[in-house]
Amino acid sequence: MELERISVALRPRTPREAVDLGAVILRAHAWPVWSAWLVFTLPVAVLCVALGLLLNLPWLGVLLIWWFKPMFDRVPLYVLSHAVFDHVPNWRETLRGQWQWRWRGTLASLTWRRLDTHRGLRLPLELLEGLPPAQRSARWRVLCRTISGQANMLIFGCLQLEIVLFVSLFLFGVLFVPGEFWPDSWGAYAHEAIRTVPTTVTLLISSAVYLAISAMEPLYVAASFTLYLTRRTQLEAWDIDLAFRRIRQRLQSVGRTLLWLLVCGGLLCHSHVAAADAADKTEHIRVERVFDPSSPAAGTTSDSSASHGPSGEPAEPAVAKGDAKFAEAAAQAYNDPRFGGSRTEKTWVLRHPPKPQETISPPGRFMFGNLFASGLNVLLWALLAVAVGALLVFALKYVRKHPFKPGASVSPVLAQVHEVVLTQALPDDLAAATRSMWQSGQRREALALLYRGSMDRLATALNISLPLDATEADCLRRARTLDDTQRSQRVVAIVRTWQHAAYANRFPSDSDIDALLTGWPAQAIEPKAVQV
Amino acid sequence: MLDTVRQFETPEGVFLRLRAAGALPRAQAWSIDLAIRAAVFWGSMIPLAFLGAGGMGIGALVMFVLTWFYPVVCEVYFHGQTLGKRAMGLRVVNADGTPITWMPSVVRNLLRAVDMLPGVYGVGLVSTLIDPYARRLGDIIAGTMVIHTSELPSGSQVPVLAAHRPPLDLATDEQAVIVDFAERCAQLTPQRQQELSNLLDPLTGQTGEAGTRQLVAYANWLIGRP
Repeated sequence: MELERISVALRPRTPREAVDLGAVILRAHAWPVWSAWLVFTLPVAVLCVALGLLLNLPWLGVLLIWWFKPMFDRVPLYVLSHAVFDHVPNWRETLRGQWQWRWRGTLASLTWRRLDTHRGLRLPLELLEGLPPAQRSARWRVLCRTISGQANMLIFGCLQLEIVLFVSLFLFGVLFVPGEFWPDSWGAYAHEAIRTVPTTVTLLISSAVYLAISAMEPLYVAASFTLYLTRRTQLEAWDIDLAFRRIRQRLQSVGRTLLWLLVCGGLLCHSHVAAADAADKTEHIRVERVFDPSSPAAGTTSDSSASHGPSGEPAEPAVAKGDAKFAEAAAQAYNDPRFGGSRTEKTWVLRHPPKPQETISPPGRFMFGNLFASGLNVLLWALLAVAVGALLVFALKYVRKHPFKPGASVSPVLAQVHEVVLTQALPDDLAAATRSMWQSGQRREALALLYRGSMDRLATALNISLPLDATEADCLRRARTLDDTQRSQRVVAIVRTWQHAAYANRFPSDSDIDALLTGWPAQAIEPKAVQV
Repeated sequence: MLDTVRQFETPEGVFLRLRAAGALPRAQAWSIDLAIRAAVFWGSMIPLAFLGAGGMGIGALVMFVLTWFYPVVCEVYFHGQTLGKRAMGLRVVNADGTPITWMPSVVRNLLRAVDMLPGVYGVGLVSTLIDPYARRLGDIIAGTMVIHTSELPSGSQVPVLAAHRPPLDLATDEQAVIVDFAERCAQLTPQRQQELSNLLDPLTGQTGEAGTRQLVAYANWLIGRP
């Protein structure tokens, strides 16, 4: 394996991100993956469906396509595992490559390991690493330790997305079926159709299943492969390996002579430093006890970190001494004016500063002040309570004084008038009766009497009966039908005068009343006629 | 180099790395949200069922609020995370990495109506598979993306050794990788540690365990230990 040629950014990733990286790789190499996939899987799928149709078992084709998924997985893995190392095989190479890869693991996963949820993760281990079985199980345990849960999530997530794609395709197809062809009950239809499916429906559903599997299965393989890559990057520090190789290359390209000079310089520097504190050098080396500082011996920490050197001796004083040196250096750095340090600033100050004693008050005064403040506080709250109480009392009193009654706003005077008017019988001499009432001060009553009498006479003159609910407007309309314009004008004047009095409380002068009371309808006989 | 990261450089020269989240974690987060909303809806329907037609009406309102307001309110007020996204370590941000605001959140959630077609998020799934940052149509139009927020797996502290100055001036990324090696060497087998440190024998002048120790000493110097 030539790690330098890898075309994936290697870095520590969470398992979830590793899965997403699979989608990115697949998108980058979509054409080679799916072309090889189609060439490899389409004939198999067609054979499966044909077998199902021949045996008259329509579901068999779909089941077989699903069952052969572990075999199909080899194709995307072949393309991606080569593409990651910068060589993208075309579909011919991919198919040829299938014969070079072993089939034993695939046969196992097609039969007794078909329901294994770690299928995608097992694939690179078996096909790419090719270890003997004894080592493989040990390696499998190490590989699976932290990503087993994520592998389960991955396979069920892909299954879920596959179902989503299939249902989407199905619903999309149903959209194109006109409403009148829909069965009355989809449930009954499905129940019946499972036994006798038309061949076209079988073909359509099988192709929808094949399309959904074709879309999601390469994604599953790619995601499993990147999960595997990420786990190996974590286990073997591939990213550090790559970076170290780059550093090495840079150092070697500097040239042999220069390199030797540099190494000699480095060694000299090294030995110089080493000579300075050779006495306690070994004591500096210790394993840092990060998680359990009270552990008696560092030898109990992890085996790999034990390789950093001899440990177990109490090296605390040396480190403390080193820390002191570091603190000294830091203090020196802070003395640099760029990082702070001290500087002199000149400002004006009062020669006789105000005496601070005046501001310091005895504690008793504070106590008094606090008492006063809290008293004031209580007083203010009490004032608020009194104000609210007074408002309540006022509201209660107001409600008791002016109890709410619907219709209470009607003037009692008018009601009285109506009572009086309605109980009075019409006098024979309307003008005289009105005038006497007017002169006695009952102006509203007088005008009401005049209005009622006029209407009565109007009805008699027109030989009609005015309805009880006739309004002033009705009366005016009737009055205009009179032949004599003078009479009708007079009736209109009476109605208007009454309206002004009744609704606006405006009364005419005495002379106006006299004008209204002359002639018909106030007087039964026209003065003109008398003159004639 | 293929990666899921979308990188921005601020005017100050700081690189912001947004780790785009793909279809699978997002589908799982959505499933969690769906389960939570269904539970809340059924829980509220039990008392509402006793109120007859009025209760049904209130139930429909609850359904409406859960469908259209739950994601928006969660995204705006809980740092771009619905409960499902929080469980999966995801977050919605604007495409430039700034926190999501009302307008983009409303747009991306209203466009679920399109992504939901033809009933089971088929359009959204295809869109997330095609887009380089796994955005669905609502994300593309609202100018947002869903990113991973969970902490990256990191090593432990650098083991303490007497600091040594590297004999050469190293570039910043080279210094970083030496510190990285020292932090992560506890996760590696001793053989692998020595393989790696042997690669740098032009720098350390040593091989095997001594080389490893030398690299850790350099890392101690680089992080400023005495």
